[in-house]
Amino acid sequence: MQDDDVLIGCLMEESWLTLEQVAAACSVEPGWLIRHIEEGLFPHAESVAGTWRFSGASLLRARRMRQLERDFDAVPELAALMADLLEEMDTLRAQRGRDGR
Amino acid sequence: MQFKDYYQILGVARDATADDIKKAFRKLARKYHPDISKEPDAELRMQEVNEANAVLSDPEKRAAYDQLGRGYQPGQDFRPPPDWDAGFEFSGQAYPPDEAAGFSDFFSELFGHMGGARAGTRYAHAGFRAHGEDHHAKVLLDLEDAFSGATRQISLRMPKVDAQGRVRLETRTLNVKIPRGVRTGQVIRLAGQGAPGTGGAPAGDLLLEVQFKPHPHFRAEGRDLHRTLPVAPWEAALGAVVSVDLPHGSVKVRIPEGAQSGKQLRVRGHGIPGQPPGDLLLDIRVVLPPANTPKARELYETMARDLAFDPRAQERT
Repeated sequence: MQDDDVLIGCLMEESWLTLEQVAAACSVEPGWLIRHIEEGLFPHAESVAGTWRFSGASLLRARRMRQLERDFDAVPELAALMADLLEEMDTLRAQRGRDGR
Repeated sequence: MQFKDYYQILGVARDATADDIKKAFRKLARKYHPDISKEPDAELRMQEVNEANAVLSDPEKRAAYDQLGRGYQPGQDFRPPPDWDAGFEFSGQAYPPDEAAGFSDFFSELFGHMGGARAGTRYAHAGFRAHGEDHHAKVLLDLEDAFSGATRQISLRMPKVDAQGRVRLETRTLNVKIPRGVRTGQVIRLAGQGAPGTGGAPAGDLLLEVQFKPHPHFRAEGRDLHRTLPVAPWEAALGAVVSVDLPHGSVKVRIPEGAQSGKQLRVRGHGIPGQPPGDLLLDIRVVLPPANTPKARELYETMARDLAFDPRAQERT
């Protein structure tokens, strides 16, 4: 590829990430992701006609939970609780940014 | 290349037990956690701490590092002797390629070849044909890009396996056409730009997660575009048609008679382009002219006298 080549990407709808894509992009095994979904720890996944679909926010959640489990030996439920709190914090920070505070 | 003292980074003695190392790492991982840390260089320090932990928490890597690093001081110029790692058997890496991408050249030089073949293709085996992994990166775009569909140059640091099987960090610069109508949180997929496949299988894709840089006037929420619209008191009171600048052009907006600060005007179809396009939402803010000339003071005094207006009247009822 030449340096000045322009890459034309396609835009994925937020819910269009597949289980394999999220797993590969976040360096987790697909089985890890399925276990967390089945245990209700990964609410960003939705099942459509038996196939899992993920929002863009899933990438960050999967990375956060993976790191918490690895760095602190956190049980998945605790990692999910922390991820919930961090997401809540993201929302509040964005809100604060919008309000100009 | 400078020698890195991983024991000093974690703040443990050279004879620290595995438990001491784990405790020290967790303490620092909490201190420099990128989501909560207030330290100015938290991200860099966390990378350093992760790197030190990757070596010292792994008995094989720690033994090799101890043997090699004997007599070196932190920051001292360092070159590993050839075949220094002969006699050690390394069994892979705890940190995935996306995180290991932040590790130093010192780490790459010593341990980069460990699990190197795995860095790009996780399911690779001899004689096995495997699709390369998808890579993921976050890109910061200007809001204007969503309107114009511009081509942007994006630099990414990515781990790459060299001919000797070592993992090197490589900066890739890509020219990417930003699709018109892109929104925060969406993912642009660049086919074939991820990790190479094995056995002639196709490469993975590069998934770019879009976020907008903060804009001085606008903020995007989904496809809707918000901005504050300052208006003069007479524009708000009497109604007016004003021109509002957009990231890509401008639009004329009618302010209804009797508009107040805090009211919101919705201009359909003038948000981020798409099918359907988003809306433009204008938060009205009435701005008072300063009473800094005799004429201005006279006008305010006339209003005070003739209007009999009490803005706090509602509070009293």
